[in-house]
Amino acid sequence: MASIIDFTGICKNFKVPERNTGRFSMFKNFFMRKHKIINALKNVTFSIEEGDIVGYIGPNGAGKSTTIKIMSGILTPSSGTCIIDGLVPWQNRKNFVKNIGVVFGQRSQLWWDVPVIDSFELLKDIYKIPNEQFKETLEILNKSLNLSELLGRPLRQLSLGQKMKCELAGSLLHRPKILFLDEPTIGLDAVTKLAVRDFIKYINQTWHTTIILTTHDMSDIEALTNKIILIGKGQILYQGSFDNIKNKYSSIKTIEIEFAKEYDSIELEGYETIEHNKKFATLKNLPTTEFHTKNFVNQISEKYEIVDFQVTSLGVDEILAKLYKEYKL
Amino acid sequence: MGKSYFGIFKMEFKGELQYRAKAISGIATQFFWGLLQIYLYSAFMKSDTINGLTIAQMTSYIWLGQAFFAMRYIVMGKRIGTEITNGNVCYKFVRPINIYNQWYAEGIGQKLASTLLRFLPIIIIAVLLPENLNLHAPTSFVAFVLFFLGLILGLLMSHAISMFAVFLTFKTLSEKGSIGIVSSISNLLSGLIIPLPLLPESIQNVLNYLPFRFISDLPFRLYIGNVGINEGLIYLAIGFAWLIVLILLGKFLINTALKKAVIQGG
Ligand SMILES: Nc1ncnc2c1ncn2[C@@H]1O[C@H](COP(=O)(O)OP(=O)(O)OP(=O)(O)O)[C@@H](O)[C@H]1O
Ligand SMILES: [Mg+2]
Repeated sequence: MASIIDFTGICKNFKVPERNTGRFSMFKNFFMRKHKIINALKNVTFSIEEGDIVGYIGPNGAGKSTTIKIMSGILTPSSGTCIIDGLVPWQNRKNFVKNIGVVFGQRSQLWWDVPVIDSFELLKDIYKIPNEQFKETLEILNKSLNLSELLGRPLRQLSLGQKMKCELAGSLLHRPKILFLDEPTIGLDAVTKLAVRDFIKYINQTWHTTIILTTHDMSDIEALTNKIILIGKGQILYQGSFDNIKNKYSSIKTIEIEFAKEYDSIELEGYETIEHNKKFATLKNLPTTEFHTKNFVNQISEKYEIVDFQVTSLGVDEILAKLYKEYKL
Repeated sequence: MGKSYFGIFKMEFKGELQYRAKAISGIATQFFWGLLQIYLYSAFMKSDTINGLTIAQMTSYIWLGQAFFAMRYIVMGKRIGTEITNGNVCYKFVRPINIYNQWYAEGIGQKLASTLLRFLPIIIIAVLLPENLNLHAPTSFVAFVLFFLGLILGLLMSHAISMFAVFLTFKTLSEKGSIGIVSSISNLLSGLIIPLPLLPESIQNVLNYLPFRFISDLPFRLYIGNVGINEGLIYLAIGFAWLIVLILLGKFLINTALKKAVIQGG
């Protein structure tokens, strides 16, 4: 399949004025500027294929939102090229944005004081959506997101989760080819989160919408996609399958052990003692040691008298935390 | 094309209409200020006329000013300032429409709605007040028609001027400071603080040709007959010419600012 998003060598520097505060600060800010440069993106290159769902992950301040803003034509990069669906987002903005949908989890694109349906009708005019198509799309969105009770109420009365459903629907009314979601599940409860994920999957399957989403919730990624791009401190660290990363770390086990008596110290070849408190200890196998339950029991029983033990693998969150640590993020 | 801007206008108009309680307290304030100004300026006008303006004309001028206060007052439009400083403005960029036009339509929608919510009660009470304090009828039907045209120009003009505060907000990221600068210049030169007919003629001769007086001074003077029909038509033409110039200039400035804009927040 052909790639629909090509991001090549993109850099983005923010020039941040060192702000004056206090009296006349506005004049000072206007006329006397001292600047600091923040390199938010450093030579970022990746490509995304049509019809994919891609998880864009990385720690706070890594540059995810900045990338989304560049891809959606909101920001102009300092250097580099970006071709999306044959167009450069920040050139000919009006033409480009017709084919994309954007949701920022912490912001609102719908009108605050009027019923949600009025906002949708206005978006229909803005995107010049034909009547028939609008009705059909609304029907689909309505059914899969359960919007019917919400549409007649002003946005300001809705809960966070209800708002997010409406925002998602609003971004899809014109059936964009590409959908950018910046933290779409932030602050949602478990049920709404599942509904939103199902919906994202459904849209991807029925309309073949290419979807790029950022999230800090690794279960979002697990539920939605195997393709991830990992960014840290403005640099792409990894692009590929999530399973690869998981497999790399899933060989590391944590073993909690209860001993029959108290030992002064616990030392086992090939293992690291993370914690030791009287009769209890937590060990971890070193990367060089492959963990086998039988071997482990034999090895430890030679030196110590054990009562019980429990083995756990790293969860995805822990894997990510490890990954960030490994890349010194 | 025009349909979506009209849609935005309608949306803001409808939204603003919901704030009736705020309008009622606004009406009370305006009524109080009207009376205060009338007493103040009547005491100040020792003779019956000043610069050819009678006390009755001045009273009408002040009441019109209070009735249409929401239209005269320079505001950027609800949310626009915070939108820029907190970054919500990014949604304006992801829609296939012109950003200046969007803001302009929004602001006009809000201004018109808050004006319509407030003006009628003030007009009615002002007409019913005792002699010396009341609002008089317009001098002629033609004067009234020109007054009405002047009000439309005023609405469009006041928001074209507000858009410069939007531009400054983009540059400085200080909403209050930007609106403060633009509104204090505009309020002073448009007659919102001191009715222009009360100023020395030499100053008036300058202000008459600047864009600010078209916000409200011209329509009010047409109403009270202080500016004649022929003279009024010429002024209206000048006003509309200024309007076009200011909108084009505002568009140019905002478009350049947007190219270099940095959207705030993650
Ligand atoms: N408008 C701006 N002005 C100055 N610096 C900015 C601006 N926007 C972002 N930055 C900086 O760029 C870097 C990347 O920010 P970005 O918002 O892209 O991070 P993120 O990956 O989305 O983080 P998070 O997970 O916290 O949302 C940060 O260091 C941030 O401080
Ligand atoms: Mg972010």
